[in-house]
Amino acid sequence: MTSNASRSLLLRVASLAVGVTALFGGTAFAQAPQNGGTLTAIVQPEPVTLTSAINTAAPTGFISGNVFDGLVDYDLNLNPKPALAERWEVAPDGLSITFFLRRGVTWHDGHPFTSADVKWTLENVWKTIHPRNQATFGRVTQVETPDDHTVVLRLSEPSLAILSSVNSNGAQVLPKHLYAGTDILNNPHNLKPVGTGAFVFKEWSKGNHVILERNPNYWDKGKPHLDRIVFKVIPDAAARAAALEKGDVQYAVFSPVPLKDAERLAKLPNLKIETRGYEWLSPWLFFDLNVDNPYLKDVRVRRAIAHAIDRKAISNIVWYGFAKPAISPVPTTLGAFHDATVPQYEFDTKKAEALLDEAGYKRGPDGVRFALTHDFIPYGDDYKRTGEYLKQALKRVGIEVTIRSQDTAAFTKRVYGDRDFDISSAWFAAFSDPQVGVTRAYWSGWVGKNTPWTNGSGYRNPEVDALIAQAQGQARQEDRIATFKKIQQIVQTDLPSIPLAELKFFSVHAANLKDVVTHGDQIYGSLKDAWFDKTASN
Amino acid sequence: MSLAEPLAAAATAQRPARRGLSARLLRKPSAVAGLVLLSAILAMAALADVVYPLDPLDMVGTPFLWPGADPDFPLGTDMMGRDIASGVFHGARVSLLIGAVATLMSLVIGVGVGAVAGFFRGRADHLLMHVTELFQTIPPFLFAIVIVAILQPTMTTVVVAIGLTSWPSLARLVRAEVLRLRDGEMVQASIVLGLSDARIILTHVLPNVMAPIVVSASIMVASAILTESSLAFLGLGDPNIVSWGSMVGAGREVLRTDWYVATVPGLAIVAAVLALNLLGDGLNDALDPRQNRR
Repeated sequence: MTSNASRSLLLRVASLAVGVTALFGGTAFAQAPQNGGTLTAIVQPEPVTLTSAINTAAPTGFISGNVFDGLVDYDLNLNPKPALAERWEVAPDGLSITFFLRRGVTWHDGHPFTSADVKWTLENVWKTIHPRNQATFGRVTQVETPDDHTVVLRLSEPSLAILSSVNSNGAQVLPKHLYAGTDILNNPHNLKPVGTGAFVFKEWSKGNHVILERNPNYWDKGKPHLDRIVFKVIPDAAARAAALEKGDVQYAVFSPVPLKDAERLAKLPNLKIETRGYEWLSPWLFFDLNVDNPYLKDVRVRRAIAHAIDRKAISNIVWYGFAKPAISPVPTTLGAFHDATVPQYEFDTKKAEALLDEAGYKRGPDGVRFALTHDFIPYGDDYKRTGEYLKQALKRVGIEVTIRSQDTAAFTKRVYGDRDFDISSAWFAAFSDPQVGVTRAYWSGWVGKNTPWTNGSGYRNPEVDALIAQAQGQARQEDRIATFKKIQQIVQTDLPSIPLAELKFFSVHAANLKDVVTHGDQIYGSLKDAWFDKTASN
Repeated sequence: MSLAEPLAAAATAQRPARRGLSARLLRKPSAVAGLVLLSAILAMAALADVVYPLDPLDMVGTPFLWPGADPDFPLGTDMMGRDIASGVFHGARVSLLIGAVATLMSLVIGVGVGAVAGFFRGRADHLLMHVTELFQTIPPFLFAIVIVAILQPTMTTVVVAIGLTSWPSLARLVRAEVLRLRDGEMVQASIVLGLSDARIILTHVLPNVMAPIVVSASIMVASAILTESSLAFLGLGDPNIVSWGSMVGAGREVLRTDWYVATVPGLAIVAAVLALNLLGDGLNDALDPRQNRR
C-alpha cells in the first residue's frame, strides 16, 4: 500500500516536472515552424463542390482556400496583404485599379499563371455567375492585360468595395486553360480543383474525406509546413467533440462542437478554442419570408412575425449566448455602415396579434389564423432549434408552422430555385463591406435564379435596386455609407427578411497546432502557415 | 349437413383454451410485469393532455434545469427550457401510435402475403416469396432511412417506412403455418364443402395461425418504436412532433454536460420495449398448448 502510494506520488512529481519544462520550453523561445505532419481537420457539412468561384458555401470555402490563392490576403485587421498580386494601385480618380501579379507562379498542373487567367475569370465567372461579385465588380467595364503580369480594371465609376473582396474566396482565379469554352458550372475540375495554392488536391472520397497534399513548387518559399491535410466529414456534433478530444482530429471550424461543449473543451490542456479568423465574415442569421406567399406578401404579417420573435431568446437560449441580437442586416461589426436607427420590432405578442387582426387574419375557432412552413438551413442542430423556436413563437400568436428538413442541395434548390417555401433560415457573411455580402439578399436580380445564398425572400423593390446600383459607383466612402443606411431603413421597413442574430463562430484546434490563425479571412484562407509543434507533449 | 358437425366441434374445442388465456398469462410474473408497465405507458399516453395540457414543445422554464431541481419540472428541462416530463408523456402517445399503426400496416401486408402464398402455392407463392426475398435482402433500417429521406420526414412517411420494411419475416412465418394447415383435414373438408377460398382463409386458416401472429405483433410494436427512435435520433424524425427518439436525438449534443436530457426519454424507450417484449414472451408461453400441459 505505502510503496504504491509513494510510487504514485513520485510519478506525479515527475509528470509535474515534465509539464513545467514543457511549459517553459514552449514560451521561452519563439520557435521556428517545424515542417511535416498530417493535419486532420473536420469539414461540416460535406461541401457540394470544391471551387469557391462558383459556390460560396462555407464548407467549400474552408477547403478551397488551401488549393487557390487570392490576389491578396487580409491580415487580422482586414488590411490587404500581397498574395498573387505583389502590389496594386488605385488611380487618383478611382476609375482604374492595377494589379501587378507575382512572377513565376504556376498552376498545379504546371501551366504558368498569367494575367489572362484573371481577366478570363473576372469576365466569365465573377461578373456573371458568382453570387456576390456581380455587385462587387459591377462597375468594371474593361479588363486590360498589357503584359502577362499586369491586370488593369477600368471602371465606369469608382468602386471602393473591390479591394475588400479580392482574396481567394471573394475573387478566386480559375485556370483559364481548363475552363475556357467549357460549361463552367459543370466543369469536372470544380470537384478536383487545380489552383496555385499551397496545397494540391489529391482525392475526394464522397461522404468520407477530402485529401490535399503539400505543393512542393509553392511560390511562397518554405511554405506550407504541413505535408498533407485530410478534411474529414463527421456529421454528428458529439462525434466531432469526441474526435477532437481524442486527438484524432486537430482542427475544426464554424462552431464545430455543441455550443454547450465548448466551455468544457476549452478547459482541456490539449485543445484550444479560437475565435479569431472570422473577422472578414461578419455573419448574421435571419429568416427569409417568401413575399410571394399570400399571407407573407402583406407587410403587416411580416412585421407581426418580427414582433412575435424574441431575438434575445434566440441569442441567449437557442444559441447559448454565442450570438447577439441583430438590429439590421448590416452587422455592427461593419462599423460606420451599420445603421442602429432602423425600425425596431421589439418582442411584443400583443402587437403581433393586433397587426395580424388588422391584416384580416382573425383567429379561427381552433385559435389558428393560418399555417406556414419553415425550412431551416441544414447546417446543424443550432439551426434546427432556431426553427423549433420559430414554430413555438408563431404558435403563440396563432400561426401554425410546419417544420421541414432536407439536405443542403434540396434546401438551396427549394429556396433559391423553386421558391417553394414560406419561411427559411440562413446565415450570410456580410463581409467588411455591405456591397459584398449584404446587397445580394435584397437585389431583385437574384430572385429565383437558383443561385444559392442570394435573395431568398423574393423581394423586388426598384428603389432598393437603384440604391444598390448607386452605392456601387460612389467614390466617397461617406456617400456610400449614407446610401447603405438608406437601404437599411427601407428593407427594415418592408421587412422581407428578419435579421435575428450576429453569430459568433469559434474554431477548436489542438494545442500543438501552431499559427493556425494568421489572417482575418483565415476561415476561407490557406493553412500554409500552420505547423505542428512536435516538442509539445501532445 | 352432418359433415359440418366435426367443424363446429373443432371450433368449440378451441373456446375453453381461449378463456384460459388470460388466466395462463397472469400466472407468469414476467408477463404481469410487462402488462403493468405497458398499462402505465398507455395511461401516460391517454392522460398526456390532462396532466400536461400545454404543447410539449413550448419553452416554459429555465433551460438546463436538472431533474429535481425545480418541483415544477420533476424531470428537468432541456436546452430550450422545454419540460422533459411533458415531452415524455406526449412522446408516449406518438411512439405508441407510430408503433401500433406501423405494426398494423406490416400485419396487413405480412399476413396477406403469407396467407395467399401459403394457401394458393404454385405461381402465386413463387412470385410473392421472390418479392419477400427482395425486401429481405435490403437491411430494413437502411431501407427505412432511404424511404424517409426521399419522402421527407413526416409522421406518415415514418409510419409507412417502418410498415413497409418490417413485414417480410411475418409473411414467411404466416406462409409456413398456412402451408401446414392447408393440407389439414379441416381445410380439406371446407374445400369439399365448396366454401370460397376467401372464406376458408378468413374463417378457418387465419384463426388457427393467430397465436404466432399475436406474439410477433407485440415484438413488432417494440421494434417499430425502436426504429422510429433511431430515425428521430438520426434527425430523420418529424421535427413537428415530440417523440422519445427525437428527445434523445436533441439531447445527444449536450450528452457530455447534461446527460439527463437524453437519458430520461431513453429510459422511457427502454421501459416500453421491455414491456412489449415481456408481454410477447408471456403470450408465446400462454398460447403454446405444449407449455400449458406442463
